[in-house]
Amino acid sequence: MNKESRRKLTRREFLGVTKAAAVGGVIAAGVVGAAAGYFAGTGAAPAKTVTRTTTVTQAGAPTTITKTVEVPAAEKLKVGYVYVGPVGDFGWTYAHDQGRQWADQRFKNVESKYVESVPEAEVGGALESLIAEGAKLIFTTSFGYMDATAEFAEKNPDVYFVHISGYRSGAAGNAPENMSAAFAEFYQLYYLNGLAAGAVTETGVVGYVAAHPIPEVVRHINAFALGANYAYKKRTGKNIKCYVDWLFSWFDPGKTRTAAQALVEEKNADVLAFTEDSPTTLQVAQEYWEKGKRVWSLSHYSDMTQYGPDAHLTGQIVNWGPIYLDFYKMVATGTWQSVDIWTRIGDYLPWRWRLPVEKSTAGKPEGTVYLAPLNPAIPSEWQEEIKRRYEEMKELLFEPFSPEGNLGEPIRDQDGEVRIGPGERADHDMLWSMDWHVEYVETPLPR
Amino acid sequence: MVEWLESVLAGAVQMGTVYLLASLGEIYAERSGILNLGLEGIMIMGAALSFLFTIAYGHLTALILVVIVGMLLSLILAVMAVSLRLNQVVVGLALTLFGIGMSGFLTHPTIRGSVLLHLNPDLPETALIIQEAPKLPEIPIPGLADIPLIGPVLFKHNILVYLALILSFAMWFILFKTRIGLSLRSVGENPAMADALGVNVALVRYLATLVGGALGALAGAYLFIGFQPFWVEGMTAGRGFIALALVILATWNPLRAILGSLLFGGVEVIQFRLQLIGLGAQAPQFVLMLPYIVTIVALSLLSFESVKKRIGVPAALGIPYSREEV
Repeated sequence: MNKESRRKLTRREFLGVTKAAAVGGVIAAGVVGAAAGYFAGTGAAPAKTVTRTTTVTQAGAPTTITKTVEVPAAEKLKVGYVYVGPVGDFGWTYAHDQGRQWADQRFKNVESKYVESVPEAEVGGALESLIAEGAKLIFTTSFGYMDATAEFAEKNPDVYFVHISGYRSGAAGNAPENMSAAFAEFYQLYYLNGLAAGAVTETGVVGYVAAHPIPEVVRHINAFALGANYAYKKRTGKNIKCYVDWLFSWFDPGKTRTAAQALVEEKNADVLAFTEDSPTTLQVAQEYWEKGKRVWSLSHYSDMTQYGPDAHLTGQIVNWGPIYLDFYKMVATGTWQSVDIWTRIGDYLPWRWRLPVEKSTAGKPEGTVYLAPLNPAIPSEWQEEIKRRYEEMKELLFEPFSPEGNLGEPIRDQDGEVRIGPGERADHDMLWSMDWHVEYVETPLPR
Repeated sequence: MVEWLESVLAGAVQMGTVYLLASLGEIYAERSGILNLGLEGIMIMGAALSFLFTIAYGHLTALILVVIVGMLLSLILAVMAVSLRLNQVVVGLALTLFGIGMSGFLTHPTIRGSVLLHLNPDLPETALIIQEAPKLPEIPIPGLADIPLIGPVLFKHNILVYLALILSFAMWFILFKTRIGLSLRSVGENPAMADALGVNVALVRYLATLVGGALGALAGAYLFIGFQPFWVEGMTAGRGFIALALVILATWNPLRAILGSLLFGGVEVIQFRLQLIGLGAQAPQFVLMLPYIVTIVALSLLSFESVKKRIGVPAALGIPYSREEV
């Protein structure tokens, strides 16, 4: 970031930094809580007193609550998870189950159970059986579970509920106090993927295999296209072209293969991003490499390098574990506070300040969302750019959905209308309801 | 333009082979009077087992074992439908549900490792957790593969694609030009008459159902090791039912099944192309719907007696045969 933009720090940006500091407080609290949770979790220690600081964003302004509580003598914490897919889907549900195992290993004194492949209409039965088995804390991991979760929270005030990817929680005021909402968000990483894509593309065309036209996927496509355009335009002066193929399915490897091939053969795309629960797109890219054609792709949810050793550029990886662990600790220590959190780069790190580029942790596991290993084939100046942005985003000093992320130009939609003007940044609400494509996306958005 | 056609048609052949293999087997089963609604379940089992067996034993053994398992699964249907004369629709759907559940169970991350170790105790640790298997190699046919357009479309595929094409011709020949085919058709048309003429109705129906199971499982195996070698639960995604529709569209004729499978596979390929050139991109589902519309039209045409007679819908399809009741 140069001096000029530093001087023009807007109120919004200032708030962002304050928020960063506040979230830093959460991390500090997390460390205290971790210690508490750890000791509460190991051995039958007698009751002890622990001070815990929690930072919660309520109605926009962060407030810090400090509580002194009695930690009850160790009793196994019973936790239940409800998954929408099979744990072997290698995508969404797989990632949640990895997170569960991560949290269990660190908390130790816990007994967690999961119910998988639960259709959204049948979540009630799964919740009932988990409650009947004595679960004190239940995670429901699909958007469609939201209303049923709120209903059960109402009926079971002594059980705590965390819903993933929704907007209802006690903190938001539209659910009981024993319900929280959480989400690990990828759009910043998609922007960095875009930078990598724009840095290596030779055809100036990138493709995207997308599951369903929902705001989450739309903002990921937009972030990817913005990043790709940033790098490609800086290299060549020309705009990137991004084409999207919609699957209307979360996982169907057969369709995904066909769509990925269509992007390469119909539009000559040489970098393929995707939102879909299998590494199929990466496998297709690897096959092109083996036939002597350079096509790149990415990791999604977990490190997929093994499925395309040559074609793997970088990617977005999630670790839900720290989020889960945090809720374990809250319930075990009796410090529950309903929250509505979405984690980005920099959240759940031991510290939040950015590192110099040469010491950047981009491409290494950390926090809840992080970048997959960077392929050395990405030109070194762009590796540095990616690392610099990654580090800046830890402090929220850089926002992809701002003119700064678009070479200083305002961000326009496909009709040429300015959506994010000078000095503006996309906020949570805009990101969560995104129903338009940036101008670099060539295909229309299905409605 | 030629290049474009090449890549679209080659894609249609690759995708269509899934449907072709499955519907060829189903044509034989239905020609004998057995409606196998368990096709989806047999296919998903074929896909799941080709994944496990390929990791444990390699391609060739895997394909042989998958065919055997496919026959065993359809044997369940044959026993229920032919010997016990149960309702074929119910048994078939039960078989589909069983296949979906069983394939998910055997490949479940918590189970798969021990299943694989049972199959082959020498497997390395890494093979137990990986979700892909080596793909069947492409075998371009020397000479023919270099012909423009036709070469890449027909002669640059893996062994199962060639097998499906050869089988269509062979199975057409057997069905319409040999005594065996005549027996098969007569059993599906009028089992009492066939019985009176000395054809063993039960045996023919058993064999035809087994052929259907074998090819259904092979279709699933092709979807996995021949087309997209990454395992996810439920990866057939209803393609077994599409193959059932294809059988009707092909009017129980193995050669027309080639055209039908090209159409169904082609639509799947072309709809992703159309999205990219902006056609139908607002509602890609519409394009995906087209084969079903064709099928529905074909079905309604079949309701006319004259058309029915000319095309030769197996008259005894789905009806159990018992000597006493005739």
